[in-house]
Amino acid sequence: MIASRHGLMLIAPLMLVLAAFFLLPVVMMLPTSFREYAPGAGLVPGVWTTENYARIVTDDYYREVIWRTMGLGLFVTLACLLLGYPLAFLIARGPERWRVPLILLVIFPMMLNLVVRSFGWIALLANRGLVNNLLIQLGLISTPLKLMFNLTGLMIGLTHIYLPFMVLMLVAAIRNVPRHVEAAAATLGSSRLHVFTAVTLPLSAPGILAGSILVFVLTISALVTPRMLGGPTYKVMATLIYDEFMQLLDWPSGSALSFALTAMAIGVIWLSSRLTRRWAGMA
Amino acid sequence: MSSTTDNDNRPGFAVTTTALAVVVFLQIPVIVVVLAAFSTTSYLTIPPRGLTLAWFGKVLTDPTYLAAIRISLLLACGSTVISLVLGVAAAYALFRRALPGSEAITSVLMAPLILPAVVIGVALLQYYSLTGLRGSLFGLLMAHVVITVPYIVRSALASLAGLDLAVEEAARVLGANGFDAFRLVTLPLIQPGLVAGALFAFITSLDNVPVTIFLIGANQTTLPVLIFSSVEMGIDPSVAAVSTLLIVATGIILLIADRRAGFHRFV
Repeated sequence: MIASRHGLMLIAPLMLVLAAFFLLPVVMMLPTSFREYAPGAGLVPGVWTTENYARIVTDDYYREVIWRTMGLGLFVTLACLLLGYPLAFLIARGPERWRVPLILLVIFPMMLNLVVRSFGWIALLANRGLVNNLLIQLGLISTPLKLMFNLTGLMIGLTHIYLPFMVLMLVAAIRNVPRHVEAAAATLGSSRLHVFTAVTLPLSAPGILAGSILVFVLTISALVTPRMLGGPTYKVMATLIYDEFMQLLDWPSGSALSFALTAMAIGVIWLSSRLTRRWAGMA
Repeated sequence: MSSTTDNDNRPGFAVTTTALAVVVFLQIPVIVVVLAAFSTTSYLTIPPRGLTLAWFGKVLTDPTYLAAIRISLLLACGSTVISLVLGVAAAYALFRRALPGSEAITSVLMAPLILPAVVIGVALLQYYSLTGLRGSLFGLLMAHVVITVPYIVRSALASLAGLDLAVEEAARVLGANGFDAFRLVTLPLIQPGLVAGALFAFITSLDNVPVTIFLIGANQTTLPVLIFSSVEMGIDPSVAAVSTLLIVATGIILLIADRRAGFHRFV
């Protein structure tokens, strides 16, 4: 044991930095979110209002953006799960010599600059992009498909970007499933499919939950990919916040939206930790 | 356990094919960007009409790109070093249980990972506007410390958790002071995990747009923010060329880190 005095000295610098450059700035956004903004004039002095929060739940446009963000989070999570599980299974249970190359091929796009990856998808999905050009050349379509500035584009781009996170979570979970339990089920006459649905899948459920929460939270918070593939018109919560602050200069409204997005992210994480605790209680 | 039951757990043909298709899907945008960078046409075609290195020349002589690359590297190196010093010290204090409420402290240290990055960005935008730090390099650097330090703390805590305290105690008994025992015994033991954490922090800083874009000044921008705003203006192969440089750099860093520290084990 080292003395508390030393412990405090070791941890104080980081705590001070986080207090000054993280906690305080976030807390200072709270009063802003209750101010009134007059277009062109800025904050109305002396006026306090809950209008910025009320608008989030009552305004049709804001509600549409929030539902779109949640729906996108859900779809992307499902897509990552469906595409990620087979790959994670191959990495965890496939030939030993494939493992490191496969993991590196999963990590590489994850490490790669987000802007670069989104740029790659623009080149593929644009009206005169590679996918449309190829389909037209093959004579399958005559007018370009609309693959960008809509749900399709965001789905493809965000699934690609968050898939590696899901795969890595699932690899860890599948590796933790004891092989001998699967072997026992097989010995007792279970088919391969049944071993999977009755043993492997339920025992990897904690990893599935953890990966899903991670992907969902990352997706609803994403700014860069939705902005690049959704353009200035097809908005999600993060791009709406960006516009409120940078284009409309309506900081009160942007602050209220920021807290709404934070509440959604933290709410989902809190719910899942309760769920995990209940599972742990049953085991 | 017989070998037949072992084989029953192996992925079948359908799973393997699906999995390999997903691996290809993951590489597609990377391949497209690299091909575009060498293309002679200003729009993309597959196969490329002709090959040229002209776009690379254009990028590497463009002062705007060069300045952005310099600021990005400065921020990434600076924030990684500061985060390493602050993060390892904090993690060590937590590990030695020198403080009450270490679980609460850990969750405070991890909070920047949970909060949406765009929220940290706009919060700092308002804060820096009020304190006059907006557009300053110092403000940017501290913002990058906030977003990178959780990775350092996490990897340091994970590496320390696998450590036998007796080794350090032995060094103390043999006459080393506290700092020497840490520097000569503990630090080398947790080094591989720290290298992986530092690499993650470095790439996180180099990659960041959602916080940085709110804080940059008029005459300084980072490379990803520059690419981001160029794409909004319209696609140009020089964007593909500078992206390709980033792809190659990332690939090399990843391979070196994996050789040196067995990076794939830490992710």
